[in-house]
Amino acid sequence: MNKKMMLTVEHLSCGYGKTTVIHDLSFQVEAGGRLCVLGPNGCGKTTLLRALAGVLSWQGKVEADGLALCGLSPKLRAKKVALMSQFSQTAFAYTVYEAVMLGRYAHQTGSLFSAETAADRRAVEEALRRTGMWDLRKQPVTMLSGGQLQRVFLSRTFAQEPQIILLDEPANHLDLCCQAELLESLRDWTANRERCVVGVFHDISLALAFADTALLLEEGRALFHGPVKSLDLKLFDRLYGMDVRRYMKRIHGRWE
Amino acid sequence: MRTGIKMGLLLMAAVLALLLGVGIGSVYVPPGDIFSIMAGHIFGSPLPEHIPASYSVMVLDMRLPRVLLAFLTGAALAVCGGVMQSLLQNPLASPFGLGVSSGAGLGAAVVIVLGPVLAGVGTFLLPAVSLAFALGTVFLVLLLSAKLDKGMSNVTVILVGMVISLFCNAVMTLLATGSPVHAQRIQLWQLGSFSMREWGAVWALLPVTVLTGLYFLRYARELDVMTFGEEQALTMGVDLRKVRGRLMAAVAVLVGTAVSFVGIIGFVDLIVPHIVRRLFGAAHRRVIPASALFGGAFLVLCDLAARTLTPPHEIPIGSITAFIGAPFFLYLFFAGRRNG
Repeated sequence: MNKKMMLTVEHLSCGYGKTTVIHDLSFQVEAGGRLCVLGPNGCGKTTLLRALAGVLSWQGKVEADGLALCGLSPKLRAKKVALMSQFSQTAFAYTVYEAVMLGRYAHQTGSLFSAETAADRRAVEEALRRTGMWDLRKQPVTMLSGGQLQRVFLSRTFAQEPQIILLDEPANHLDLCCQAELLESLRDWTANRERCVVGVFHDISLALAFADTALLLEEGRALFHGPVKSLDLKLFDRLYGMDVRRYMKRIHGRWE
Repeated sequence: MRTGIKMGLLLMAAVLALLLGVGIGSVYVPPGDIFSIMAGHIFGSPLPEHIPASYSVMVLDMRLPRVLLAFLTGAALAVCGGVMQSLLQNPLASPFGLGVSSGAGLGAAVVIVLGPVLAGVGTFLLPAVSLAFALGTVFLVLLLSAKLDKGMSNVTVILVGMVISLFCNAVMTLLATGSPVHAQRIQLWQLGSFSMREWGAVWALLPVTVLTGLYFLRYARELDVMTFGEEQALTMGVDLRKVRGRLMAAVAVLVGTAVSFVGIIGFVDLIVPHIVRRLFGAAHRRVIPASALFGGAFLVLCDLAARTLTPPHEIPIGSITAFIGAPFFLYLFFAGRRNG
């Protein structure tokens, strides 16, 4: 059975000013899919994500669930696509609950004091319970640890109820158990639903364990796009200009 | 509901500050008498016999407009400070960083120096010109930022604002040096004063403050989202460029109007939003009204100190706010660092 495509990118080019970083890139992600974007520094991973998130302008065609993203209002786009970045911190002491409620911005239409609907509160509670932050909902976000803060931003991303979540190295600065938790809840979130995740990763092992399809970028062009299972690991040698497999075996050898 | 109680207490404190401001001076007028005088003025009811008619004139024509002008200015500066800090995601940001104050200052200096030439155009010439200069400066800052950086990132805006501010200050200093007769007036204006005591200034500032304040409240949720960063705000659905441009323009109008009447008064915009966030949390639907009340009350009390501490001389209000504000700001900053 053919699965529905959640994200379709065709002939995408983008960059900064006159410099083009992404050249004529095409790929798809199907419903329930998890795509990891891999490549060395400067290959255009983050630029691609910023374009998909609508932060950068681009040429080409991008469709989310059959809807062209070009020219969409920020609110409509936010209902389709959410971005979770490697966030450091915020200077203002919102409570965890307030911060996650802000994720509902795109869904709220009422005036200031009647904006929060029952649906908003339900979405926020569900998101907070999903990440295990419900008990800390009254804490100010400025008092949280890095791992907890990242879970708040993940909850906020869930509360936004997008169909596509873009991840910009979400596991950076997180210890192992936080990384595992984060990726596990994202896997849960996508499984068997009309949703998908596109993630940029530095950690190849982590990415390949998490994703079901991979996109390898070499200087802004696709070197490989397909299922992780059929990915020839030798491609990494070319991509990173070193014997990646030998390196991985050496540094992971201790765990055998 | 605890927020409601806190807001009520703050409102009471603000009223108390206003009563103290009107009551204390060369002669003390108790709150009851203030109400009688105001009732007499508004409803035409006769004054009680123990209140001399001169008190009525003093309260209505001198103290009340001055205290209200101080309150409105404090409210305007504090609210704009809070909004700018969120817009630029920088707890140390201030509306003055956009070039509002230096622009207004340059405008005022031009009027002061050309004063004899322009004589007889009326009391509102200086505020009008300085407001025009303030708005022009902010417009120039935003225009240059947009030219330099299509995305108009916050760092660009802050840097361009700083450069333009310094340039305006240089021109102002040049004007002051060129006409030493006026140098002292220019310098005094830069420290702010409420000695203008004109009802006209109150009536001009009141609607601007109320309307701009309501406008900010309308964007309270956008402001909340924007504190988490530009990229985040965009992807959460905020029409960033539009909203930010509108809010900065509103800040320029409100601060420009206030500054053009009373001169430059620092620190209110910087510290009041910080205190308010400690008391009421960071959400703007609470920060905006609370900053208005707190900032207003704070500046009324500062002005009270300015005119009563060293009679018959007045201390420039800007030096009072700096005297209280600078150490307090340091304390807030370090206390915050330790907790975080």
